Amino acid sequence: MSYITPQAYYTNQSEWGSYQYVSLYDIVDNFLLMNTGNHSLINNEDRYKALFHAKRAIQELHYDAFREVKSLELTVCGNTLRYILPHDFVNWVKISMYKDGWLRPLTENIQTLSATAYSQNSNCIIQFTGSEPTIITSEIDADRIAKTKKSIYLNGDSPLNGQLGYFVDGNWYFDYATWSRFGLNTETANFNPTFNIDRKKGVINFDSSMAGEKCILEYISDGMENGDDSAVAVNKLFEKYIYAYMEYEILNSKLGVQEYIVNRKRKEKTALLRNAKIRISNIHPSRLLMNMRGMDKGMK
Amino acid sequence: MINSVRNTVLSVLNKNNYGYISPSDFNLYAKQAQLEIFEDRYRDYNKIINAENARLSGTDYADAKRTAEEAMEQFAVTDALYPLRTYSPTAPPPGVSRYSLPTQAYNGNDYYMITNINLSTEIFPQSGFTTLGGVAVLNDLGANFFILPSIAAIAVNTTTNAWAYVTGIVSATQLSLSNNIFTAGGQGYEIRQLSDYRVADKTTMTKVTMHNNSMFLPMSARYPMYVQTGDYIDIYPQVDYGALGSVMCTYFRYPKDPKWTYISLPGGEPSFNQSALDYQDFELPIEDEYRLVAKILQYCGVSIREAEVYQFAKNEEVQDKVA
Repeated sequence: MSYITPQAYYTNQSEWGSYQYVSLYDIVDNFLLMNTGNHSLINNEDRYKALFHAKRAIQELHYDAFREVKSLELTVCGNTLRYILPHDFVNWVKISMYKDGWLRPLTENIQTLSATAYSQNSNCIIQFTGSEPTIITSEIDADRIAKTKKSIYLNGDSPLNGQLGYFVDGNWYFDYATWSRFGLNTETANFNPTFNIDRKKGVINFDSSMAGEKCILEYISDGMENGDDSAVAVNKLFEKYIYAYMEYEILNSKLGVQEYIVNRKRKEKTALLRNAKIRISNIHPSRLLMNMRGMDKGMK
Repeated sequence: MINSVRNTVLSVLNKNNYGYISPSDFNLYAKQAQLEIFEDRYRDYNKIINAENARLSGTDYADAKRTAEEAMEQFAVTDALYPLRTYSPTAPPPGVSRYSLPTQAYNGNDYYMITNINLSTEIFPQSGFTTLGGVAVLNDLGANFFILPSIAAIAVNTTTNAWAYVTGIVSATQLSLSNNIFTAGGQGYEIRQLSDYRVADKTTMTKVTMHNNSMFLPMSARYPMYVQTGDYIDIYPQVDYGALGSVMCTYFRYPKDPKWTYISLPGGEPSFNQSALDYQDFELPIEDEYRLVAKILQYCGVSIREAEVYQFAKNEEVQDKVA
């Protein structure tokens, strides 16, 4: 990778912002040049090991240190009520519904929204196709798609939705036939649709109030860019940490390396990660100042 | 140097009328002596590295490693490896790119040690046909060499399978080269940028299978690998066969066999003839002259059954190693 002229930068959109990053190729080459050899702690190690540990470091950073959140908007169809996880999905950050110009954050349902069902005969004996149980659409899924499944959340699927009330002497009164509520359960007090993530099946299941709505999933990936090594890059603030991580991992698994060296490298990488996290957290005085300006407001 | 070595050897032998060795015997001993010293260089290099790591070696004039490296690197050669699709009965199976290791037949040298194998990632290199020949130039009236290539490039004659470095861009249609490889018009050429070459790692067949099955560490054009089998290598992933130049190799070659050539004087005595076509001097540096003498004397001592000669030469060698 080489430095480019301002003209080449501004006229090539793929280069915009590229100076923040150091590529995987450069990381591996730099590491092999600077940290391995006859007079280094590491010698006689194959290049693919350096590549492996560089990739692992980048993955780890994507999980908890980087602030590189990807977003994907998809429509949730009413006949499935599900959202297929992106191909590079590792974990979710936020799931929202975009409706009427508002982005509404959704709540994860504490109850399940989907289940696998096996076909059973009248004596509840499980039926098999070959040696495998015969799978049918579960009742909970069928009800959810048919919009007849109730929800404990205070949204459109709540059993309280649409209940008649009485306005007497300036107050509302409600008649609940089976149970009463005392106070508000804040855990379920959300008007928006709810969701569950089925990681194994690779889908997000929604309740029926999400039918036909736009869902925006904010998620993190592992930075492996779908196997395209040429696109893998890492913010320069983490460059030194990655070298330290690679060095530690190789020495940690190498025969005959003294424990004090391994420990020294472990401490070095941990300290560098801490520093890099502080750097990338961008705690600017100007931003703090904006918040501090409200500190003298009188309480109302 | 070879005549000086021979004179010294004969002088030591004649001192006590130990005997005489013929030119053919001398050439045989000289070859063996040179090979021994040559291989000792590589073995000793490891000891020098260990001494450096133990802080037993200094810098500047005490830099033993640099001296050793310079002596070794005079045998370093960079050359193109020959694809074995059409050049050998050892045709590769489908999906494998097979190249011959450096041999006398293909490269004019046998290799002692491979140091580096580089693979060109350029699948469609700049190519064309020469419009006329020239001395150390490439002429193509249909090309525009101002766009590509850069000076750091390799030009290959795909008709004769010869290659040379591009040393300059003379005009839009002419390049200057390091060797005279395009002697006529109508010869095919390919040009590969040196910046497009990637280092291939040596690996084993077992690991190749694992890498092939790995999503995380596949062999790629950026991180190619090779497996050595016999006198050829298989490169992964499969690369464009094209012509010569897609795989370049840096290696240490064996020194050429020394040959003390002569003409016979009327009395039958051989007289040194440096002008003979098959004359070949030692290729080791001058600092190795006394080692050559000692080694050859050892062989001579055994040959003429004079233990004293052998012992003298052996003592010289031992003292040298202690020093």
